[in-house]
Amino acid sequence: MKDHKRRLWIKRAALCAAALYLAGCGAATQTSITPSTEEKSTYETFESQDYFVVIAKAGDTAASLAARFLGDKSLAWMIEDYSGGATIAPGQQVVIPRKPWDLSGVSASGYQLVPVLCYHNLAPQAKGRMILGAKAFEEQMRYLKANGFRVINLKQFVEFVSLKRQLPQKSVLLTFDDGYRSFLQYAYPVLKELDFTATLFVYTDYVGAGSNAFSWADLKKLAAESFDVQAHTKSHGDMVRAANEPAAEYDRRLEAELTLPKALFQKNLGYEPSILAYPYGRQDDTVVRRAKERGYATAFTVRRQGSPSFVDPLRIHRSQIYPEMNLDDFIKNLNVFSREEIK
Amino acid sequence: MLAWIAAGCATVQQENGAQRSQFETLVAPHRQKAAELAAQGRLREAGNEWKVALTIDPKDSVSLEESKKIEEQIRQAVADRLARGEDALKRGVHLEARNHFLAVLALDPSNRQAFDALQTRVRDVRQINHTVRAGESLASIAQFYYGDRSRSEVIWETNQLPPNPKLSPGMVLKIPEIPGLPFGRPEAPAVARPRPEAPATGGTKPETSEEAPYANPALTEAKEASEKGDYVLALATIDRFLGQNPRSSEAIDLKRTVLFQQGKTLSDQNKLTDSYAALNQLAKLSPKDKAVTSLLTSVRGRLIQQHYNQGIRFYREEKLPEAVAEWRAVLQYDPSHEGAKRNIDQAERLLKGLQARQQKQGR
Repeated sequence: MKDHKRRLWIKRAALCAAALYLAGCGAATQTSITPSTEEKSTYETFESQDYFVVIAKAGDTAASLAARFLGDKSLAWMIEDYSGGATIAPGQQVVIPRKPWDLSGVSASGYQLVPVLCYHNLAPQAKGRMILGAKAFEEQMRYLKANGFRVINLKQFVEFVSLKRQLPQKSVLLTFDDGYRSFLQYAYPVLKELDFTATLFVYTDYVGAGSNAFSWADLKKLAAESFDVQAHTKSHGDMVRAANEPAAEYDRRLEAELTLPKALFQKNLGYEPSILAYPYGRQDDTVVRRAKERGYATAFTVRRQGSPSFVDPLRIHRSQIYPEMNLDDFIKNLNVFSREEIK
Repeated sequence: MLAWIAAGCATVQQENGAQRSQFETLVAPHRQKAAELAAQGRLREAGNEWKVALTIDPKDSVSLEESKKIEEQIRQAVADRLARGEDALKRGVHLEARNHFLAVLALDPSNRQAFDALQTRVRDVRQINHTVRAGESLASIAQFYYGDRSRSEVIWETNQLPPNPKLSPGMVLKIPEIPGLPFGRPEAPAVARPRPEAPATGGTKPETSEEAPYANPALTEAKEASEKGDYVLALATIDRFLGQNPRSSEAIDLKRTVLFQQGKTLSDQNKLTDSYAALNQLAKLSPKDKAVTSLLTSVRGRLIQQHYNQGIRFYREEKLPEAVAEWRAVLQYDPSHEGAKRNIDQAERLLKGLQARQQKQGR
């Protein structure tokens, strides 16, 4: 009976906390959870609307406490980021935030940055500027895992830049441009093994167009597996108006680049893309305005820097990862905090 | 059987001495940390500590009182900084507005008004202009400013350059600050850093480096004046700032940039004397800068030629004193100029001859 009550309380606490987090990150009012007497005898616990304060026991970790008190071990980062460390000793007071406490990632010392990495084609051996060797890619992914980076998905990132979600301090977003099928052979197995996800930006003229191009069926399968598939225009042409390009011609071209992918996505994947990667990262005010008018709420450039929460959502930065980069060069693209005394 | 009391949180069941003593032990570190954070002006973090203290002991009167006090301080500070941010935006001083809105988010990280202002209304203002020198590439410029050649993409994107652009000397590029990277110090490395709030466990030692350039509104104004071509106002503003902050590397760097732009612009306008004065001042600040030396040498050469030719014109018009004055000006820029020396000798001999003749005639 005691065990039953304890499980019940933990389940209620977990479900409530997880639901509150997922539903809107702290905007909702908190429901007080009343632990049972038995629970108190198990854990010395204090709780308020904002926190649990727990006296840790031997064997406790951030993950085990997150599972027990927040209902999801993957929320361990909330405990680690709040206290600034991952080590938990028996008898230690552990503060467990019950809701996001830093939505924008801005503090008196600076602000959080989320690196967005941009990959293209992969092959057994590196070639040219856009084909990364499979081993180098794997090494980079393993570096992320070993060093505590958390690969987030596109929805989480979009919510972060909309002030709707707090992200772990060491968050990274992975993106793959163009739609190369080599992704399935060289990236997919590594990502799956490490429990990472990624966003694929495809230009629709290329889908099904060659032996190394995704088919719509490939993309549908990946989308069903929680990979994000979004637009990279129709033809991968430079969207900025060319010198001497007649206005009417440019207008038609821009319209096609932005709207034709929507129809093809709807037909083949069952949804319209709302997120865009500009080919070559190229855009200007005209391109940005038109993209917004055509229903793209978020768009990515290739400016090599991390993005704060308050980045312009139609000019989000990405860092292209080139074959000539060694691991140290790669690491330079992983800044997660901009130090700036904010007074 | 102990009963947990739900409403309002907590665990306090009986206020006996032993329990209060236990609470005191648990709450004390949070009280201390809250007080330290408040003293550092980190109001939000201090407020969080008081909330943790109240989680442990919801009836702790000190925590209740201090928590309310901090909340009120935060509320007032947020209102004040929002108003100042909006005012700065109205005045078009975007860097100042940015600072105010960031300060609001540091106090209240979910403040929608400040967030929206930063996202949609505050321009990216932390940047300087770089005049391209012979032999430079985007990669070499990126290496100079960021210590990382691959950051050339940021310069490329900021300046809306075409793919594989060709740079030509004299071209002016905007160099933006990259958040998270030191700016303008080529040796500085760029690595991922833990959050500064983190305690010593695995953390990187906080840097003591200077802040990014142009954080001061006076320097921002100087930069804006320079961008509008009002170099005199820009330099006066910088000099005023340097009067108060004589060792400010940001101000000195900005002064170098403005002097170079002023010197080049005046040179292009053929206002060589003023151009030379600006570049000469710059050369004292940057004696090893080859671009400065090169431009200064060029302007000096043109000035010499200009004065020399003007001297010839005066000479042909038989305006000998004026001609001599022009050639003496040549010697100010090049004391060893043989042509000027010879012409001065010749003109002065002629002048003496003329004067002697006039004296004879006068008698």
